[in-house]
Amino acid sequence: MQPSHLAGIVNLDHPGHYIHFHWLLISYGNAIVIALMMATFVAALFLPFPGARRKGHHHE
Amino acid sequence: MSKKSFNPDVDVIEWTGTQRPYDIIKEGTIALVVMSLLVVMLSVLFSSPDDRPATLRQWSHSDPVDFATTAFSELNGSSGTAGYGQPYNNTPNATQTIGPLALQRWMGVRIPVHPAADFVLAPLATLPDNPAIVAALQQWKLSSESERTMWMGYYAKVTPSFSNGALHLPDVNAGPIPVLMSSLTAMARAGSLDQSLLGGGRNYYSTDYTRPLLFLADGNWFGGLAAKQHLSGDQWGMMNETGSYPGQAWLWLYTFWYQVPPFSTSENADSLIWGLMMVLTVIMIFVPFIPGVRSIPRRTKVYRLIWRNHYRK
Repeated sequence: MQPSHLAGIVNLDHPGHYIHFHWLLISYGNAIVIALMMATFVAALFLPFPGARRKGHHHE
Repeated sequence: MSKKSFNPDVDVIEWTGTQRPYDIIKEGTIALVVMSLLVVMLSVLFSSPDDRPATLRQWSHSDPVDFATTAFSELNGSSGTAGYGQPYNNTPNATQTIGPLALQRWMGVRIPVHPAADFVLAPLATLPDNPAIVAALQQWKLSSESERTMWMGYYAKVTPSFSNGALHLPDVNAGPIPVLMSSLTAMARAGSLDQSLLGGGRNYYSTDYTRPLLFLADGNWFGGLAAKQHLSGDQWGMMNETGSYPGQAWLWLYTFWYQVPPFSTSENADSLIWGLMMVLTVIMIFVPFIPGVRSIPRRTKVYRLIWRNHYRK
């Protein structure tokens, strides 16, 4: 099988880009994943429980 | 008998309010389905890293002089592998320690590696029908230790060059070493050295890459390849991946220590950081028993955000 048949729609097999800030060196890929994880955590804190309003009762 | 005082970190008040059913199987099934769909979707969208493996063949084509120089360091015993210590050999004072704890040395020589024999002489002996190589190997085998030292001394003074597909050396009284080095370079460029070193050369279908990887790591080319991909220890390499893919972000703390003193300048950095992470892991395990630390969730009150409707009442 040719490698092109295995490639994803978005090709990430090219040299990465990095954020370099003093002693911190982090790839854009890692920075995006960490930002998504933090966003998911904050959303889990502030979004209402699914179905809570529809069922008309509070989760306790 | 005195009554035990209430400790908010350890004791709980019995719940007397209303209760409602909770279907953990349903929630687990939904989570499994959502995560499976996400995995399939992200795989189709991004695929996975597909970097070509680094081989001795690739190295000897990209930088044949570095390959030949490293091969000589294997022969004369000055390479990184030759002086690594356990688990490959018994080089004294080579291993890392944590204070008086020499964990690496205590594990002993579990994978014996003799660089000169394993990386140079034995692979060359597998090449068929080459009288020059057979003669060079025979001359090396029959030579005395002082002769070898003299040859290696002369060879160390010259710099090899590479042109027209072959290694070139100035005229030097180095016995069989020029033939051995140029033949090993030619063998690597043909691709047969990779196969010869797999599994210590004893098993054709081996997946034991110990020896080719050690040989690769002794040269400058492999390190340069890693540095280009931001995979070196001083580049937070432990949490990086090849290409533009996100890597092992959860190893941020482990790789963080390598960036700061005293670890960044220590010869024992690997052992010290491993020890530190073990200590931190034990602390994490015992969080419920550590006064003050175990009170953090109760004092920060993040749980009141999650169940805010309940606490609003």
